[in-house]
Amino acid sequence: MALEALWSNKLRSSLTMLGVIIGIGSVISLTSIGQGIQKSTEDNIRSLGTDVLQVMAGAAESGGISQGQGSVSTLTWEDAQAIAEQAPSATTVSAYLQRQAQVVYGEENTSTTVYGTDLAHPDARNTFPESGRFFTQEELTVADSVAVIAPTVQDNLFPPNVDPIGETIRIQGEIYNVIGVMEEKGSQGPQDRDDAVYIPLTSMSARIIGNNSLMGVSVNGIYIKGENEDQLETIKFQVENILRLRHGIATPSDDDFQITNQADILETLTTILGLLTTMIVAIAGISLIVGGIGIANIMLVSVVERTREIGIRKALGATERDILSQFLTESIVISVIGGSIGIVTGVGITLIAATAFGFPFIVSTSAVVVGFVLSTSVGLVAGVIPARNAAKLDPIVALRSD
Amino acid sequence: MITLENITKTYQLGDMEVPILRGIDLQIDASEYVSIMGASGSGKSTLMNIMGCLDQPTAGRYYLDDRELTTLNKDELAYIRNQQIGFGFQQCNLLPRATALENVILPMVYAGIPKSERRTRAEAALTHVGLSDRMANRPSQLSGGQQQRVAIARALVNQPAILLADEPTGALDTHTSQEVMNLFHELNEQAITVIVITHETEVAAQTKRRIRIQDGQIVDASS
Repeated sequence: MALEALWSNKLRSSLTMLGVIIGIGSVISLTSIGQGIQKSTEDNIRSLGTDVLQVMAGAAESGGISQGQGSVSTLTWEDAQAIAEQAPSATTVSAYLQRQAQVVYGEENTSTTVYGTDLAHPDARNTFPESGRFFTQEELTVADSVAVIAPTVQDNLFPPNVDPIGETIRIQGEIYNVIGVMEEKGSQGPQDRDDAVYIPLTSMSARIIGNNSLMGVSVNGIYIKGENEDQLETIKFQVENILRLRHGIATPSDDDFQITNQADILETLTTILGLLTTMIVAIAGISLIVGGIGIANIMLVSVVERTREIGIRKALGATERDILSQFLTESIVISVIGGSIGIVTGVGITLIAATAFGFPFIVSTSAVVVGFVLSTSVGLVAGVIPARNAAKLDPIVALRSD
Repeated sequence: MITLENITKTYQLGDMEVPILRGIDLQIDASEYVSIMGASGSGKSTLMNIMGCLDQPTAGRYYLDDRELTTLNKDELAYIRNQQIGFGFQQCNLLPRATALENVILPMVYAGIPKSERRTRAEAALTHVGLSDRMANRPSQLSGGQQQRVAIARALVNQPAILLADEPTGALDTHTSQEVMNLFHELNEQAITVIVITHETEVAAQTKRRIRIQDGQIVDASS
């Protein structure tokens, strides 16, 4: 009965539904897209290993004026070696230098990040050669001219039919032999982890940077790994003490280094992304409210238009409850159909966005359930007042109206 | 069957009280064929609305089958309208978007009759009024006489004891009016109490008992 009234007013019903479709569609798609982005960010950070601490050369002071983080390299390779020897909980310690540099093969050239690292790097960063090999202790000690390239650099420099291993490339004019190609790691935020070249730390320090520290081979940062994530707090404490001792720092506020934890970064990012998603979804929720108001409006009009119909129904024995449920059913049907279309649309938009922007396609059942419950309750709430008005109509007054 | 005791109805128009019915006493027995006549404004429609449980009197008592109705709540009145009274109106009051069959099914929906039974009964009722070939038509596709017959089929489908018709022939030509009156006569033969409200003497002349109402009072209830 309720359906017939809706069907005979197809255009009006579908326009009314549109409000709910847009509302539910945006709630579903934004929730799902938010979750997808959150998931991909988490995966990226997790792929670096959340069991890693990163020590960065920190704000060095020159005459009481802070020079900003990384302005002067206060960390050295010797610091890393000291940590490896003295911090009992640290299982893997790897120092690195990094610099943006021009890399050339034949006619091709590309600007990429060159890392000077040590042998612990693959373990510390959880990245290993796909083909060929990483450099050896021997090559590190003698500062040999060998390089391991990552997939993006291979794509940029080498034609598909050329195996880079055994070829020579130039980094800032210096010749290096390619000995390996790293596995693909994907990008992490703005940083493409596959756009990199790895060479021995000693070669980098001596020939590309030019050693500038009085205290030894200066480095940009040190990765430290423990047995597991639970060890990180302990390691952090041990590392802080070792470095303060070595750098002659008495109070923590004078630290010329900074220790960050991937898990902390992950937590912060997740919180921020979660907040953002909630905010956007709340905005989408407003359109759902507007949709509900649309339903209420149309139902009110419909009650006035159908006053006579209501009178006839009452004369034929319809109780107030019968009329109430008829109009409530109409508004719930509008919003549930609208909600279902909205869910499908929302999932569709999510799928398109996920494919286009390359984050995982996640549609949480909770979002769909919430969408369905929301649309039903929007219909219920929006329909209550019009349906009550209809039910309370006096049968003779209703019958007399035109 | 119907007993009205000192029924009054007063409408409030601003500060003024407008009396429509002033002390109606009336007894109608089962299977009577009655017409209620009066000029417009005499209160005959209000009387019909009260007898049909669509309206409630300001004072007085209304007994239907010895049951006092003035004390009933809205749901109970809706039940009586559904089960015991069939309505005919001048404008038929069919649902314009529903077919003849759907219109006739409607009272059975509110009576809670099982779906399978509704259709058979509605088809029988429409066949009874001679519209077996018009069941799928909407009111706009039917003539005035056909619409009135659909309304009568709808009024009778729950097998009420009373048929209340308010100016049923008011919008019809003489020929179709006569068809409707013949139908009423036939129904009365089947022991249904038929009460026709009219201002046409020719219509009233065909009923077995004529009640005349003037200024909210019965002036002649016998003939």
